Amino acid sequence: MTTALLILHGLVAVALLGAITHQTLAAWTPSSARPRSFFGRFSAVQPAAYANAIVVLYVGTALLGAIVYLYFKVDIQPDLERDRHWHALGFFDLKEDFVAIGLGLLPAYWISWRRPFADERGWTAPALTTILGFIVWWGFLVGHVTNDIMGFGS
Amino acid sequence: MTSVPVFRRFALAYGTAFALIYVIARARGLALFTVYPSLGIILMGMHRSRDVADPAMDFLAPEMWWYGWTATATLGALVIGSIATLFPTRWSCRFWPGWVWVAPVLAMIGCAYLTIPWFRQ
Repeated sequence: MTTALLILHGLVAVALLGAITHQTLAAWTPSSARPRSFFGRFSAVQPAAYANAIVVLYVGTALLGAIVYLYFKVDIQPDLERDRHWHALGFFDLKEDFVAIGLGLLPAYWISWRRPFADERGWTAPALTTILGFIVWWGFLVGHVTNDIMGFGS
Repeated sequence: MTSVPVFRRFALAYGTAFALIYVIARARGLALFTVYPSLGIILMGMHRSRDVADPAMDFLAPEMWWYGWTATATLGALVIGSIATLFPTRWSCRFWPGWVWVAPVLAMIGCAYLTIPWFRQ
């Protein structure tokens, strides 16, 4: 059951990772009329169209992570402490903190893409997207590495 | 900005407050509740296993504060966000929208600072 939840958590996180990366690049890169490079095509999307999906995926990933975290604390963390993986535990602690801060940002993130301010130079939406992108990438990489330390099914 | 819709005011205040309250709750130990996953119990407030029993209890009954810190930040941010909706529009115009992304960056730096003990072991 825990393994199934963890895999589901990872799959939803992959979808979120793709969406937030597309949106972040599209938010900062001026799109040309006919993108020629792979990077140009990757970022040539309507960033606002991703906002709803990213909010849903972020909340879903965080909820699944919050459930899996209970099992992690009881079954995995004691082994990591016994094997002195302090750095991994520190990075994982930061993942929890960053994910929580990201949850608090979601209402502002969502509204900033729905109704941009007229007088703010358009920075809020791209900045919030970049912060969420950083959090998602951080969470994904740290979660992946932490899982790799223990191995599948261990 | 000539008019700031109510939800927008709420969201800006909520996002800014959540980040700051979270890092304060993290630093000062202000968890709304403590979860003991191995025992299946939740206690109001912040508790440490070692506070009430043998030091070995920390290993047998690990406590979790993350849910409590998040709940504290959510509650505090809800209050501040709700208050922000009551302000006249001309007041909220003075609030720089950039705080909503500056505050989380500062909070993340604060959390990184609080995590340093893990890297000194």
